[in-house]
Amino acid sequence: MSDHNNKKWFSLNLGNGKKEAKGSCGCGKTSGGCGSHTNNHQMSDAQFDAAVDASIGQEKHKDGFDQVFDVKMDRRTAFRQLTASLLIGAGAVSSSCSVVVDDEAKEKAQIDWEEQFKGNYKLMTDNEKKSTVDRLMRSYELRKGKSINMSAANAEEDVLFGYAFNISKCQGYMDCVSACVEENNQDRNSQMQYIRIHEMKDGQGFNFNEADDNYYHEVPAEGHFYMGTQCFHCDNPPCVDVCPVQATWREDDGLVVIDYDWCVGCRYCMAACPYDGRRFNWSTPEVPENEINKNQHYLGNRMRKKGVMEKCTFCVQRSRAGKNPACVDACPTGARIFGNLLDPNSTIRWVLENKKVFRLKEDLGTEPKFWYFMD
Amino acid sequence: MNKYILHILACVFFFLCTLSSCKHSEGEYHSITDKIEAESKNYHGTISSEALLEGVQTIEIIEDEHTFLIPERKSQIKSYACTECHSKPLIEMQNNEDVKKAHWDIKLAHADLNTMNCITCHNGEDMNNLKSLTGNSIDFDRSYKLCSQCHTKQFDDWKGGAHGKKIAGWTPPRASMTCVNCHNPHKPGFESRWPVRFNTQKVKERE
Repeated sequence: MSDHNNKKWFSLNLGNGKKEAKGSCGCGKTSGGCGSHTNNHQMSDAQFDAAVDASIGQEKHKDGFDQVFDVKMDRRTAFRQLTASLLIGAGAVSSSCSVVVDDEAKEKAQIDWEEQFKGNYKLMTDNEKKSTVDRLMRSYELRKGKSINMSAANAEEDVLFGYAFNISKCQGYMDCVSACVEENNQDRNSQMQYIRIHEMKDGQGFNFNEADDNYYHEVPAEGHFYMGTQCFHCDNPPCVDVCPVQATWREDDGLVVIDYDWCVGCRYCMAACPYDGRRFNWSTPEVPENEINKNQHYLGNRMRKKGVMEKCTFCVQRSRAGKNPACVDACPTGARIFGNLLDPNSTIRWVLENKKVFRLKEDLGTEPKFWYFMD
Repeated sequence: MNKYILHILACVFFFLCTLSSCKHSEGEYHSITDKIEAESKNYHGTISSEALLEGVQTIEIIEDEHTFLIPERKSQIKSYACTECHSKPLIEMQNNEDVKKAHWDIKLAHADLNTMNCITCHNGEDMNNLKSLTGNSIDFDRSYKLCSQCHTKQFDDWKGGAHGKKIAGWTPPRASMTCVNCHNPHKPGFESRWPVRFNTQKVKERE
């Protein structure tokens, strides 16, 4: 249990001792460190009292809200007491139900516990990332009876993703929007879409006040041109600076990503983004089971929860595997170009060096990695 | 004396300020273009798209300084080789009542008839190949050479990668679609159609 001490969160033992013989346990790890390899899960009365004392000892004489609010304590004590209270609850559940509850339910509880106390993805080691996605895959299998493939691939060396959009090629068909929704498992109820295609009048420049991003008529319409916006993966992203919990950050390959399980849903980033690149889950996202894209990435298209932010990740599950994002693959006109900005022979570099390119709101200094150009 | 020390202190302070404002910290650049330029100097790519290209028949072409792959074409044309039917000179086949009419679905909508007709690109004497404006033979696999005779700007953009889609992914080796993979050579324009999506929720939200 040596690496047990290196873990950044506490593991609960819910009595999966039997599985140890098979060499694996509920958390999906094959070697130690998940904390479920001991059998000592019954709590004696004396231990229970001690735990109660540790948890609410000082507040025994107080009543009602005072117990919670009228207390001076530092963060460390607060967390210790919270853990102690949780221990009581979990211990009680474990000791009262351990006879009747089957292994699967215990494994689920184990996974839930590990999920509850896992760390920020940004701070995880590669092994922790691996066991986290393994756990999530196992969790999905236990709950839905179907297996998914979730990747924790890190940024490749010598890669910086960039994107170019040809405004004279886009015809406004919105194939990209459709492909994006399907690829990234976006909520079908609220019809969340990362990409917006703006229909703009010829001769008025980029006039977003007059543009229509939800047209429905035969396209391309006479006297109009089309341009798309999405997350621009700024090199100096204002959304990252404002996040109070560091749940969003820029990866080494330039992708601005979100840890959906670390996000507290304050929506500061949504307000800070000058490009309307971020989306919020006002309700629990729902995708019909047969439409779920099962090729997932922890930072990409895995299923989100209610109350967290999400946005375009340049399809991290695809781009880190060498593929183009779904929008690029879906575009029938070739208006979308994606590639590695650090590769001097890449097509994106040729576009930047040979076409007249510009970016949106360049004066803000956000350094978006999304360029527009014309034929 | 105090003034002198103050002066020196002010100078040092100013110097430090200038120093620190130049580079905020290690690895930060003034602009993304600086960053790209600096970090791509020692570029050595690691991942390749070869696995994604499996099952796609491609040919390698070299145009100017660009070398890349395009899909092989002849195996994709349903009735190639053309000479399987075009065994006689065209004039004989056109006037022969016994032979079934063919290519009835092709209506030329490419430039106007003063500029182009069938024999601008096809050679009645050599149906298995295309022909250039000067009468040279062009292989069906390299039909872009035909298009580039007029569409020079598009050809330049295509060679560089600004025009046309890529096959597989963003990683080298580069594989691009060729002209006829997206444009029907007899009717190269894109047709107008309805967008594939309409966001009814957005309409409600904005009411």
